[in-house]
Amino acid sequence: MTQLVRGERVHRAAYVDPHVFALEEERIFRRVWLYVAHESEVPAAGDYVLTRLGPEEVILVRQESGTLSLLHNRCAHRGARIVAEPRGNLRQLRCPYHAWTYRLDGSLLGVPLAESYASVAELPGLARVPRMESYRGFVFASHAASGPSLAEFLGGLASAFDNLVDRAPAGTVSRFGGALRLEYRGNWKMFMENAVDLVHPGFVHKSSVEAARAHPETLSADPITQQGVQMFLANGMKATQWNDVQLHSFAGGHVYMGGFYREGVIAPERHDPVFERYRQALVARHGAEKAAAVLAVDRFNNLVWPTLSINSRFGAMRIVRPLAADRTVVEVQCFRLEGAPPEMHELTLQFVNLAASPASLVASDDLEIFERCQRGLASRGEDWIDMRRGVLAGERRDDGEAVAAGTSELPVRHQYAAWQRWMSA
Amino acid sequence: MSEEVERFLLLEARLLDERRFSAWLELFADDGVYWLPTRPDQASPHEALSLVYEPRALLAVRVARLERPDMHVQTPPSRTVHHVSAIELHSAGAETIARSALIVAEWRAGESRWCAARVLHRLRRTPQGLRIALKRVDLVDSEAPHRALAVPF
Repeated sequence: MTQLVRGERVHRAAYVDPHVFALEEERIFRRVWLYVAHESEVPAAGDYVLTRLGPEEVILVRQESGTLSLLHNRCAHRGARIVAEPRGNLRQLRCPYHAWTYRLDGSLLGVPLAESYASVAELPGLARVPRMESYRGFVFASHAASGPSLAEFLGGLASAFDNLVDRAPAGTVSRFGGALRLEYRGNWKMFMENAVDLVHPGFVHKSSVEAARAHPETLSADPITQQGVQMFLANGMKATQWNDVQLHSFAGGHVYMGGFYREGVIAPERHDPVFERYRQALVARHGAEKAAAVLAVDRFNNLVWPTLSINSRFGAMRIVRPLAADRTVVEVQCFRLEGAPPEMHELTLQFVNLAASPASLVASDDLEIFERCQRGLASRGEDWIDMRRGVLAGERRDDGEAVAAGTSELPVRHQYAAWQRWMSA
Repeated sequence: MSEEVERFLLLEARLLDERRFSAWLELFADDGVYWLPTRPDQASPHEALSLVYEPRALLAVRVARLERPDMHVQTPPSRTVHHVSAIELHSAGAETIARSALIVAEWRAGESRWCAARVLHRLRRTPQGLRIALKRVDLVDSEAPHRALAVPF
């Protein structure tokens, strides 16, 4: 496995080989901390959501005591999936096949024909995921019984969750608005690499930049249109301007980038009545100084390696779900800042629609490029992929954090350093 | 009236199949909206995410992009058949509501795919003829993961 990364090059097998993907499932996705759900999705006793934790389907359910349990969705008897709806409320878990019944903590409550067993007490309950921790309402879990704590794992990227929650005048955020789901016939790593690649927008997204430039009248249209067009236009910066956006990369493979949305509705500080009301509510919570500091955090993507991307300023999260070496689903969710004016939430929804939908003028071209990469990498004409861009500029390091100019491939190199560490140990 | 609406819906489908996207855009009223919700019961774009929610001004940008040669996800372009059927009409004040079933067959870059949807048009009579105040497309698999959706429904 260590042979697949050589200096600043990576072998194409890392993207196309099903054996490498199987090893990633074992060594990465069954060991790291992965995002499960937000606590607001299961507010009451018995509330559950069905989701995936790496390769496996799990049920997050709130018990009567208020604590959460995370159970494999697999009956301890014959293995049937117990829950089939994506969310709901349960008093107990009951298998549809032979009615084995479990408490909300997964322990066995009863089986039919109990008298026919030598000892019902010896029968197993539902398998539990060994480790689960919550950070400011965001629930993570790991299939590994031991390893770094969640705080250690998140490291410098815990600040992305802090900033999202701190932006809520009531001190909490809630998941809302359902989800958008994108699929591409390509490797999961392409999404994480592309999310911090600031050279591609000028080429991949040129068609939406130019289409927006051809319609200047849209900049004085309704707020939804203004926001969308400003977002399309932001991808049209010159290489020198992208270099002003700094990339902050961390040892665990995590990375965040500075913001590059400067104009109008998508600027960090707006000057319209809705934003003014919001700012006042935030000042009431934090005081003027901290409120200003919270709003001044101008980052775009915050990537928690291997599969999470948070955009705190826009209340959006993308969860990457690797399904095969050449098949990936990305789920896009959004969060409401409790205590903020409802108009803010409407803009959040529309921003996410326009930036992240499979029909987005921006995201659809990214998906196309991922699929072209996957098809291109089937070629055995050349085995190696290059990630040397920006090596000459060097890295500034302070406190385990490396900072590079926006056009560097430094984050990709750091993602592969993390990948190699997990894959070879 | 019903024949006129039927002709209008079939014209709209053909303009999309012939990739005459600017002409398609002209069918929308100035305050017209093109909407693909994510939820079958979604009452408003403000309660949940949408695959598309575009007022006409923004739709004009989508159409301008469809006519550019550097739109990667349409290189090569799709060929489509928009099949409209099961048209039902009723009037709502000055507007006509048309409900229909839509099946889109698409072929691009060596692959075929199919989409099915229930469609609702809110149509308004203008001096230029019927115009779309709202086109709502409820894909049968609106909540499923989708690969890039490039050609309008």
